[in-house]
Amino acid sequence: MDCPTCETMVDAYVDGELTASESAAFERALEACPECRRRLEAARAMSSLLRELPAEPAPDLLRARIERELRTIAGASRVRFPGAAGMRWGAMAASLLVAVSIGWLGGSLVGQGGRQTDELVAGYIRVAMSEHGVDVASSDRHTVKPWFAGRIDYAPPVHDLTQEGFPLVGGRLDVIDGRKVAVLVYRHNQHRIALTLWPSASSGNSPATVTQRDGFALAEWRHDGFDMHAVADLAPADMKAFATAVDTAVSEDR
Amino acid sequence: MSDAPKPDGATVGRFRSVVLPHLDAAYGYARWLTRDPVEAQDVAQEAMLRALRYFHSFRGEEARPWLLRIVRNTWIDLRKRNRAETLPLEVLETHAAEGPDPEQSALAGDRRRQVAAALAALPAEAREVLVLREIEDLSYKHIAAVLDLPIGTIMSRIARAREKLAVELKGRLERSDHGLPDV
Repeated sequence: MDCPTCETMVDAYVDGELTASESAAFERALEACPECRRRLEAARAMSSLLRELPAEPAPDLLRARIERELRTIAGASRVRFPGAAGMRWGAMAASLLVAVSIGWLGGSLVGQGGRQTDELVAGYIRVAMSEHGVDVASSDRHTVKPWFAGRIDYAPPVHDLTQEGFPLVGGRLDVIDGRKVAVLVYRHNQHRIALTLWPSASSGNSPATVTQRDGFALAEWRHDGFDMHAVADLAPADMKAFATAVDTAVSEDR
Repeated sequence: MSDAPKPDGATVGRFRSVVLPHLDAAYGYARWLTRDPVEAQDVAQEAMLRALRYFHSFRGEEARPWLLRIVRNTWIDLRKRNRAETLPLEVLETHAAEGPDPEQSALAGDRRRQVAAALAALPAEAREVLVLREIEDLSYKHIAAVLDLPIGTIMSRIARAREKLAVELKGRLERSDHGLPDV
């Protein structure tokens, strides 16, 4: 093999793109060609330097934006649940988060436009997709509840629901319809639940209604002066159980 | 693509499991093409939506090169749209040769920063072939599919690109050495 031939093979050799016989021929030629050995070392050095560069994963916000688009596009068709989507979300989220946001939107949550629901789901995605997902990570309500003081204009009821199968993971802030709201994050087995809650403009309690959408379960209800919204990749029955657990804890706390 | 079938829920579901897992790769590639984190997000998002629209023509080949090709085409289209006039890529390159902001790229260590800056400073043709090979870890065959070029061309481009990177990096390291105060 002459040097120009061997020269053209250097990078393909580094990249493992030569056949076994080509590689063997190249290695034999290399012994007689110091210049090609130098090229080989240089190519290897560049390759390994680039491979040391840390990968930059897609930002959560990008993920949420794409997720929102996908839901809008799939919106016309009915939702399958619990289907492949639920399984996938379960795998992606290290745990199941229930995010409860507490906000100022009075009135009936049920029947309100899709945008609020979109924002709730986008908030859930931020919670479920990122490693941390919460601004304050604690299973201690006495840590999570005071954290909201001074950050929002109301005090959300915070309870750890471990005994009911929904350990508290932490809390975060979100913006729904332009208002800052509290989100409580819970876990159920491998799933996360985001509970968003805010003081209700209406009085009286209303039982949780659970709907399904794109592999998510959404629950809306009113209890003890708060409008509650929960989003999770849970089966509807589990979501119902979660809502009941929240209500019981809030009532007992009074 | 007005003749394309409108994606339904089942299509979106399949898209989620086949294409969406490659979002990190799409963003990573866009990040190096654009050298701007905000622009990279726009390119990646637009590319994902295009990929969904074209998904009916996806024939079960490898999804990652298929998606990265769409990312590349999206980047070229968005660049054209954002410029008053259409310029060839080589001309555009001379207008934007800054490397990524070290603060933003979160690179640990000076050497990695220098390597990233050297890669970012390469012309697009050299840069993207190295990104596809070393960072996205694609085979020559898949790189050829992304760039729509013969494998032989990929081979020679990679060889030239590594040489360019070595020269660029050497220049940077020498400059930074000169910049150090004598002790």
